[in-house]
Amino acid sequence: MSSVESSGDGGKWLDAHYDPVAGLYTFSSCVDLADLSGDRESRLVVGDLGTGSSGMKLKVYRGTALISENTLLDLPAGLVAFFMDLHEPRIPAVAVASGPCIYVYKNLRPYFKFTLPSLDVNPLEQDVWQQVREGQIDPVMLKEMLESIRKKADIPLSIRSLRFLSLEADEADEFVQLHKQQPIRRQTVITCIGTLKKSTADEDGISCLVIGTESTDVFILDPEAFTILCKMSLPAVPTMMDVTGQFDVEFRITVACRNGSIYILRRESEKPKYCIKLSSHPVGLVRVGKNVVVGCTDESLQGFTQKGKKLWKIILPAPITTMAPMDLPTRGLQAVLVALANCQVQLYREKNLLSTIKTPDTVTSICFGRYGREDGTLIMTTKGGGLMVKILKRTAVFDDRDSTPGPPVAQSVRLNVPKKTKLYVDQTLRERENGLAMHRAFHMDLSRMRLAAVRAYVKALESSLTPISSSLSEPLKMNAVVQGLGPSFKLTLNVQNTASCRPVMNLAISFLYDDNLYRIRNPYMRIPLLVPGLIYPVETFVECTSDKGISDIIKVFVLHEEKSSPLLTAHINMPVSEGLMLN
Amino acid sequence: MGLFDKLVGWLGLKKEVNVLCLGLDNSGKTTIINKLKPSNAQVQDIVPTIGFSIEKFKTSSLSFTVFDMSGQGRYRNLWEHYYKEGQAIIFVIDSADKLRMVVAKEELDTLLNHPDIKHRRIPILFFANKMDVRDALSSVKVSQLLCLENIKDKPWHICATDAIKGEGLQEGVDWLQDQIKTMRT
Ligand SMILES: Nc1nc2c(ncn2[C@@H]2O[C@H](COP(=O)(O)OP(=O)(O)OP(=O)(O)O)[C@@H](O)[C@H]2O)c(=O)[nH]1
Ligand SMILES: [Mg+2]
Repeated sequence: MSSVESSGDGGKWLDAHYDPVAGLYTFSSCVDLADLSGDRESRLVVGDLGTGSSGMKLKVYRGTALISENTLLDLPAGLVAFFMDLHEPRIPAVAVASGPCIYVYKNLRPYFKFTLPSLDVNPLEQDVWQQVREGQIDPVMLKEMLESIRKKADIPLSIRSLRFLSLEADEADEFVQLHKQQPIRRQTVITCIGTLKKSTADEDGISCLVIGTESTDVFILDPEAFTILCKMSLPAVPTMMDVTGQFDVEFRITVACRNGSIYILRRESEKPKYCIKLSSHPVGLVRVGKNVVVGCTDESLQGFTQKGKKLWKIILPAPITTMAPMDLPTRGLQAVLVALANCQVQLYREKNLLSTIKTPDTVTSICFGRYGREDGTLIMTTKGGGLMVKILKRTAVFDDRDSTPGPPVAQSVRLNVPKKTKLYVDQTLRERENGLAMHRAFHMDLSRMRLAAVRAYVKALESSLTPISSSLSEPLKMNAVVQGLGPSFKLTLNVQNTASCRPVMNLAISFLYDDNLYRIRNPYMRIPLLVPGLIYPVETFVECTSDKGISDIIKVFVLHEEKSSPLLTAHINMPVSEGLMLN
Repeated sequence: MGLFDKLVGWLGLKKEVNVLCLGLDNSGKTTIINKLKPSNAQVQDIVPTIGFSIEKFKTSSLSFTVFDMSGQGRYRNLWEHYYKEGQAIIFVIDSADKLRMVVAKEELDTLLNHPDIKHRRIPILFFANKMDVRDALSSVKVSQLLCLENIKDKPWHICATDAIKGEGLQEGVDWLQDQIKTMRT
């Protein structure tokens, strides 16, 4: 059969759909799956960021087709589908967070807009604008005063004042005229959004919205009245969060912040309960059961317990672009999907790589869950605006092999070692009982061997049997080369003075040999002055006078005039002559 | 028709054939089989099948016993236990579910490669169902996506159907009846 299997993933996924020009530009925080029509068929809901500052849309897909589009007023920071009431049929609403507002859609129609409470305005700033309104100060003066407030104030300036400060002098007047009558407001913006079940863990139980803001707060909103149920403060601006539990029972909010830390908030504590300090900035946060998996900008993936204890860390082959959980409870699968900048999506269970999917473009958002009627659907959008849908095969299994470098698997496979023989057992027994004696005997033998070696060495030195002279005044080295097949051989003796600077003089070479066998052309030769380091070849010819096919040793002596014992002795094992005498 | 067949027909004794009705969940298997039953035996409400159910209907010369299998993912591993008994297969496809066409193909490939099916000349009738739905794929497109032209060693046939109105069903069942009769004689 010609089923197309995407390379590298071991044929675990079916390629259900790929539209490289879907024109979807989004991130994982703006994608969700929900049964928006109550027909048990999940739709894909996407907050599309468009291109640049235009084309922001709320898009809904059914199967392979785009079925609905709503224009968004501002860039979406996050999107969630949630049940906000108990009405039948159970159809979830969609909340889109952008700027300081949450836009709630029901049946894909705008339903409600929630705006975060405004922040305190600096009283000094308020005074200054009051004076402007009364015509007491002009724009130049205003600029100066705002500038000084900005420098020392603990409450930051409003957006309006900041805009004013950034204007050119000629625009300032007009701006002041336009805005001075309106009250000053200071707004924060939403950075991330999540949902928290109110009182039941049911899949269609009503949920509170949980939002993180630029003002470093976390708010929990009542789903029906949209009042703030709870406000918690963080030491830094939250960027991603994961929420678990139920508002009325016990919950836990894990927030990754812009200061490179992760904080864990719990019910009935206004401040974070635990803190994880990361060595680099978090780019992805996924909770798996009771643990948290964090992807960082240093291309690492790290696991922590819910109390912040570090469990493991692995290094990835490329920077992370986005992360998402992969939960498939019907098949007992819980893993983390990590999209990388090298066009791969890797699947990790704990620190083990389960599978890798190669994609034609870099993936910027991932969402895994029930889409249409298929539970194990993986939806990805790419940098180029593509939409890709893959379905996990019914028969796919992920084997949990430990891919961390370490001893290979073969090492832990038990070899079929034969049983211990009687001889072996006896030997070990003997070794155990007589260990001391054996050790002593070994040392005795070792000492004897060393003694014998030293003796032989001394003897060799004394009789100058070595081809190296150790005498201090004439340190010499010699080697001999025999060339030819016989009966005539060429004998070359390479003599070298190994002293560092002193030349050697008055040396001669003589031979000792069986004159029934050999005749040497120059049995006595004088060696010229030996300059240190150079190799002097001394040549002579040896004639084998026997045709009986026998050979013998020729001894070479390097002699010093006026000294009876040789400086150096070399034994040359002559080869058997293979030629016949000519005469 | 052989003499024996005629005799059987006159006597009202019809040959029994076991048919497996397979396909993904929501493709319309139960709806199709319901439509094939005599109108007084049809049910009004069709709910997703759990596990499987056994249904019977008759044609002019055969008496069909249909194993209406559930198409839900978690029940699909039941299918293969009935392959041995099946003498024909009806495979139903939701022509409007483009996204899951790959899943239907995967299940079909698994079926065709199963040892109990692979080497048998078992006839397969494909119903490209829900052709009434707007944007539904044509039966030609469905057979392309499922690579039906690769099935060389089994007789097969595809019909576009609308199970709610009952359109296209009779053509398929006639084909199946002919196949089974040629198989026997
Ligand atoms: N529009 C349309 N709907 C159909 C058609 N055939 C079936 N349906 C509808 O599709 C839905 C599923 O039909 P079923 O017969 O239960 O599907 P099934 O294949 O038996 O599903 P499982 O038992 O879960 O495997 C029902 O709501 C049917 O009314 C058709 O030809 N056209
Ligand atoms: Mg059914």
